[in-house]
Amino acid sequence: MTKYWSIFKISFEQEFAYRLNFILWRVRNVFQILLTYFLWSTVFASPTTEIFGYDREKIITYVFGIMIVRALVLSARAMDVSGDISTGDLSNYLIKPISYFKYWFTRDISSKALNLIFAVFEFLILFLILKPAFFLQTSPIAIFAFLVSIILAILIYFLLLFLISSIPFWAPEIGWGSHFLVTVVVIESLSGSLFPINILPNTLQSIVMATPFPYLIYFPVEVYLGNITGTALVGGLMVAAAWTGVLWFSLNFVWQKGLKVYQALGR
Amino acid sequence: MDCAIIVDSLIKNFEVTQKEPGLTGALKSLISPKKKTIHALRGVSFTIQPGELVGFIGPNGAGKTTTLKTLSGLLFPTSGFVEVLDHNPWDRKPEFLKQISLVMGQKNQLWWDLPAIETFELNRAIYEIPTHTYEESLKELTELLDVGKLLKTPVRKLSLGQRMRMELVAALLHKPQVLFLDEPTIGLDLVAQQKVRDFIYDYNRKYGATILLTSHNMDDLTDLARRVIIINEGSILFDGAFEDLVAKFAKEKIIKATLSKEDGIADLEKIGKVKKLMFPEVILSVPRSTVAVAAAELLQNFPVEDLTIEEIPIEDVIRKVFKEGLKK
Repeated sequence: MTKYWSIFKISFEQEFAYRLNFILWRVRNVFQILLTYFLWSTVFASPTTEIFGYDREKIITYVFGIMIVRALVLSARAMDVSGDISTGDLSNYLIKPISYFKYWFTRDISSKALNLIFAVFEFLILFLILKPAFFLQTSPIAIFAFLVSIILAILIYFLLLFLISSIPFWAPEIGWGSHFLVTVVVIESLSGSLFPINILPNTLQSIVMATPFPYLIYFPVEVYLGNITGTALVGGLMVAAAWTGVLWFSLNFVWQKGLKVYQALGR
Repeated sequence: MDCAIIVDSLIKNFEVTQKEPGLTGALKSLISPKKKTIHALRGVSFTIQPGELVGFIGPNGAGKTTTLKTLSGLLFPTSGFVEVLDHNPWDRKPEFLKQISLVMGQKNQLWWDLPAIETFELNRAIYEIPTHTYEESLKELTELLDVGKLLKTPVRKLSLGQRMRMELVAALLHKPQVLFLDEPTIGLDLVAQQKVRDFIYDYNRKYGATILLTSHNMDDLTDLARRVIIINEGSILFDGAFEDLVAKFAKEKIIKATLSKEDGIADLEKIGKVKKLMFPEVILSVPRSTVAVAAAELLQNFPVEDLTIEEIPIEDVIRKVFKEGLKK
């Protein structure tokens, strides 16, 4: 365990080595939130407007909820795995008595901790400036379910990213393209970080809900808002847990195959 | 454990996608990739005793690095048997990994943006080195390699030579029993090379560690290795003591002389093959068995000011091995 605590610390320091880079990344996040906020504020300009079952207060909470959940779930480092594989830096880890999966998971957690600290500050500042009508969840069951769904979301994103980043075992050139496709195109649109999934037509909605993506952002936020309860809640958590399992087995399978074709390049 | 390393009929093939030059080539390889099999190792066998320091020689692409990577568990052998310290490297068991280390001259494990000491601390945790032992090894290694003052400098600000020495510290903190060094002196200046060489020599003697070293730098090998394995195109051409290599392949010795007068210079041909004649310098090549006689004759019959007898440069010997190996 000490091993991974050390990795946690050094990873934290590494993030601070490029302070400006980190700050700019945070600024980008704030802008993203502001854009989404103003977009929905305009749509819901009149307090009585209600679209797709969302009123002004709920949509604003959704936007702010996204902010915290994003910081927790989408701040991950595992996309660097593809670089490690194609440049051969992976060798450095393979020759050490350490689990490469746990290594990256620890770095993820470290990155999340740092991002969360900043997200809380940004949240408070934006909250004070914009003074939005915010919905505070009080039901302990909902809060507990929210925490469980967050943990599952973190695991799903980690595994998903790791799996995508394993492609360079077979196609070393692909690295960044696949990452872009998954994180930017698929995750941004299907996870619910741009719009709530339930504004989609019903058929499309059930298709999307069967994929792992909405369990990253949309599902935890909705659970917090109390919009998903009872059987829908249990069912959703089960789908998320099932995806975690499926992705975990796929990742192990892919790595067993991948390491056999690994060429330890770089020389 | 009789042998530290056992390699038997090791074969490793790589599948490589071929790409023709230019954009059309890139598109072509995207649609129908042409695969080519590269035979990196074609049945390599050798054993190494604990405490041996063995040099691996071969041109680029000969299979040296592939062998080291297979021995350290990075590559999955196509076929053949590999055992290091009674373990199959591919299993990558923690108790095996704690006893080995691989240093690659062109790959770094140090965290680029942080001072080297941070990586050392991390390795302490990863290898579960007791604090007391860690502090002792750190002190000893940094003194031997003369990098004590640089521990707190971010790695990106170190020179190549300093960084290489830090890499060695990082790789050796856990006192590995088996050490694989891939081009440890590449890109270093002469002073730094010497420092690294002296260190490797000391480490081998002091801890009785088994060391396998590859290099293009002949000085590395003549200084360090008692035994060499010459490998070319995935096959071993020679495996034995350095002296045997010279005795077996260098059938001749070199006599270098400085003459005071040009008299009778043409008669030098009678003593040996004239390799170079540029008054007052003469270089003769003489069969190993008659070198003493030839030197005596030279001293008697010519106005010699200075005379030395030398081995053929090791580079020439190895070039010869490659040539003869290719003829087989």
